[in-house]
Amino acid sequence: MTDIIADHRVSATLTDERAARDRASRKGVVMQAPLQFRQSVRIRRLAQRSRELAISGKRRLGTEEAPLGDHACWIHIGPFPELDQMPSRVNGYEATGESWGRDYAFLVDHFPVEIHRDERIVGEIHWEMHMVRQYEWPERVKEVGRWAAELGASGYSSLHTCPDLAIGLSQGWGGILKRIKESRQKYLDLDHPEKASYLLGMQLICESVIHFIERHAEQALELAAAETDAWQKQTYLRIARCCAHIARHPPRTYYEGVQWIHFAVMMDRVVGHGNGYGRLDLYLIDLYRKTKSDGELSDEEAREYLAEMFLKLRGQFFSLGGRDAALKDATNEMSFVVLEAYDLIGDYNNLGVMWHPDIDRDFYNYACDVLARHGESIPVLVNYDLMREAELRSGIPEEDAWKVVYSGCQWFCIPGKEYCDQDVNSLNILAPMKRTLASAAAYEIGDFEGFYALFEEELTATAEALRTWKNTQYELLGSLWPEMFTSMNSHGPIERGVDMVDNRGVDYQYTSVNILGIPNVADAFHAIKRLVFEQRRYTLAEVEAAIETNWVGREPMRQRFLNEDKFGNDQDDVDAIFVRITESLARILGSLKNLRGQEFRASLFHFQGHLTPETIGATPDGRLAKEYLAHGINPQVGRATTGLLATANSIAKVDQRKFQGGPMQVELQPRFFDGKEDIWTYIRDFSEVFFRKGGIQINLNIMDLNKLRDAMQHPENPDYQNIIVRVTGYASRFICLSRAYQKEFVERMNFEGF
Amino acid sequence: MATLTCQTIEISRGTTHDGPGLRTTVFLKGCPLRCLWCQNPEGIPVAQGVWWEARKCIGCLSCVAACPTGALQAPHGELVRDPTGCTICGACVEACPSRAMALTGREWTLDALLHEVLKDKEYYQAFGGGVTVSGGEPLGQATFVAEFLRRLQKKGVHTALDTCGLAPESALTSILPYTDHVLFDIKLLDSELHQRVTGHGNDHILRNLSIVAETLRMRNAKPPSNGYRTLQLWIRTPLIPNTTATPENIGAISTYIHEHLADVVERWELCAFNSACKQKYDKLGSPWPYADYDLMDQATIDSLREVALSAGSDPDTLVVSGLTARS
Ligand code: SF4
Ligand code: SF4
Repeated sequence: MTDIIADHRVSATLTDERAARDRASRKGVVMQAPLQFRQSVRIRRLAQRSRELAISGKRRLGTEEAPLGDHACWIHIGPFPELDQMPSRVNGYEATGESWGRDYAFLVDHFPVEIHRDERIVGEIHWEMHMVRQYEWPERVKEVGRWAAELGASGYSSLHTCPDLAIGLSQGWGGILKRIKESRQKYLDLDHPEKASYLLGMQLICESVIHFIERHAEQALELAAAETDAWQKQTYLRIARCCAHIARHPPRTYYEGVQWIHFAVMMDRVVGHGNGYGRLDLYLIDLYRKTKSDGELSDEEAREYLAEMFLKLRGQFFSLGGRDAALKDATNEMSFVVLEAYDLIGDYNNLGVMWHPDIDRDFYNYACDVLARHGESIPVLVNYDLMREAELRSGIPEEDAWKVVYSGCQWFCIPGKEYCDQDVNSLNILAPMKRTLASAAAYEIGDFEGFYALFEEELTATAEALRTWKNTQYELLGSLWPEMFTSMNSHGPIERGVDMVDNRGVDYQYTSVNILGIPNVADAFHAIKRLVFEQRRYTLAEVEAAIETNWVGREPMRQRFLNEDKFGNDQDDVDAIFVRITESLARILGSLKNLRGQEFRASLFHFQGHLTPETIGATPDGRLAKEYLAHGINPQVGRATTGLLATANSIAKVDQRKFQGGPMQVELQPRFFDGKEDIWTYIRDFSEVFFRKGGIQINLNIMDLNKLRDAMQHPENPDYQNIIVRVTGYASRFICLSRAYQKEFVERMNFEGF
Repeated sequence: MATLTCQTIEISRGTTHDGPGLRTTVFLKGCPLRCLWCQNPEGIPVAQGVWWEARKCIGCLSCVAACPTGALQAPHGELVRDPTGCTICGACVEACPSRAMALTGREWTLDALLHEVLKDKEYYQAFGGGVTVSGGEPLGQATFVAEFLRRLQKKGVHTALDTCGLAPESALTSILPYTDHVLFDIKLLDSELHQRVTGHGNDHILRNLSIVAETLRMRNAKPPSNGYRTLQLWIRTPLIPNTTATPENIGAISTYIHEHLADVVERWELCAFNSACKQKYDKLGSPWPYADYDLMDQATIDSLREVALSAGSDPDTLVVSGLTARS
């Protein structure tokens, strides 16, 4: 391992370090060392503990049979012991914010407080609300859901948004509590008991959080009293001082800031949903500069605090870079520190770097270098300007649009101001495609334009079903499952007495919809256009019969459909159909409004629908029923045969300003870089061209899939235990994934080069 | 003027070995040499051929029914090909549902090919790459290539010519003005041996190489000015076991470069043999004398490299590429 920067120089300034790194990269040093910074013994122990927890399954998300990964924020230690005493069980369940808040507060009040040796950032959790509180929709709602699912529309809402942690960082929990109480009093005075009741629930939540942090201070003092080791004793005392302060007050130092964010994110995860958390570099920059100029923060410490937080939180979605309110580059010293913290420990994370043409060159170079050296799709590279334009196009005004952050798998939002219900809503466009085929066959449609017009009608029917389905949920969502913790760090809910998921709780409430199967439908339509309408080799009825029977007895016909041009090869004809479908989606969904009066937005991604092909059946792109579908807007596996650049060009043809994201997924053979120097420059140059051409996100694993195939057989092999991959939108330890995910992953196109 | 067209074997995008940076390589059909180890056998004739890929064939025999000449038969229910009877009418290609029967290449008009290779223009600029014409032997379609490269240069694209060197002098000199980079093969220095394994001696080839060298000297002597383009030269030597990969040959080429071309050669690349093209011979239904050769081992490569260096080659210009056998 080349230690380019020795970490004993704790007094060196960041600028010195960066200069050293630049010198190193400019000299053409091949930065192959997996980690650029040497881990202290303490960090190594903490990292080891974190890894062991992950591998042992204690951080599993999903079920034991179908694990989604090892990135749970909580650590499994068994069921919640006081489950029977939950207020909603003792006093009876009520679908209200107050009842929800009482349950949350009860749960948190019964969290054990754990402070481990070596730690400077403390706090962990073991249960989340879904484990203890009923989340059950009434039968009449479920019935609508079943009807919509028949048509291809689905998704039970669960929060996927991004709070604005700057609120709490500047006001402290005490400041937030004060606002809640004032607002509650206001609504009591106005005789608005419902809002007052909701705010009472919120007050209980806020108080439970304050108490939880205070309990850490108390326990740290007790531990300090009993401790003999001088360093450990000092550390406990520091923890005690920090927690005693930040329980109510805004953090004063960088250390307190990181600890504050740690608690805020962790207590948000108690709700259990896939939120993002915003721009970490902007959150922390003032505290960083202040603490630095007070001479109280070394570069090593700055990295380590964050590294500890990442190890404990399992790296939530945070963003870096982007632009500021004046649309100038927002990169700052913290942007580097955050990446360095990941660089220090590797492992699981979900950082996103928001590129734009004016981004600090050193920072983007470093981001690409980190990505190249670790090869584990961290950071994710996203195109800030396109995200901002997409927000503008949705109707979000200039003064808010610049605040956009990459917040989850493929999506983005305005922190604390936008509830877009991301990643849960699904539109399976293979369903309208199949209906189109049936009716076009029945009507004996003779040309592609007529066929496509029918498809748009069917697509509209599915989209309208989705609207009905979502609106049915939205009527009840605010009382059934309010997002009260996230609402505390959002703009609106406290003063309005309305939860962020409820009507106008926050300003922007567009509904995002993940789309399943666009590449498959594009491939199918192109083949139908050529073979049915142009060459007249087959009739629509024959196509329909073929896919109904999974092509049995029609292999030559299937081969014809399979061997027409396919999306992902930069071919004008089929790519044009692909783009046309995306345009139809944007238009049709954009013309529908949800109960909040805001539009539906298509997201060109699907988190896991492509993994259950049996429910879809065979498709006219020559796909057999058992084969996985295309992943998001990436070509169907095996069909991109013209190389990475061609695939990138195909994907970049979509007008991403009209969508809520759509990543390109790249698995690149490490062998490609054999003998090449400065491999990060390949990533930088490729990503920048892709972005300039209109691409919005790149998830890049540098990974020999053969190795992963072997890891599937030998998960116990220590060499395989720490391999992190970007699965769909999120990352996970490979061996902690379900077989289906693993299988899908290793079957992907493993590009040998560009 | 009739529309300019060319015949290609294939187009590879994102290549990193056929010149500087990231490139698109256009492999043109037709080659005057008959190297025994030829890696692109389907590219030897300029005209299109038909080949068959067993892996893709589903045995439906539509091709047999379509074939008007009897070049395809199925006496025992299995496809049997007799390439000698084939008139390249393409009926089987049209009839085959799985693209197992396919033409060995494709015809392009100038505009279509330009459109195709310009799709990656932004990547060439970012990576300092461009477009390489290779083959086959691109000088065999010189009229097309000259115009193709001229138009690319006008679009600001860096151009490279990858040549075996055997072509009329006029073909070479018609293309060089539109070329930014030349990759020139020296396979064997002994002309007699060259004759034996490629079908031609190398006198003419080396004469063409000296034309490239002279052009380069003249062009690069002028100070770079607005719109003026310099020329770079890389020499490539395929390392073919028991043929070109001998100490005598590598030493001789090294000496030759050292004595005649030291001032103009930016890189001399030894390209290690691989047998990836075996499947092409299978598809064509022809035998290949090198089918049983393995990848070369690292020790052999290292010793050849040593020979090259001790015969005078500059270690900064000498590059070895390609896979080696894992011991
Ligand atoms: S190209 Fe024509 S003649 Fe040759 S095998 Fe095919 S069908 Fe027969
Ligand atoms: S038509 Fe194609 S798939 Fe059918 S037997 Fe001939 S080569 Fe094979």
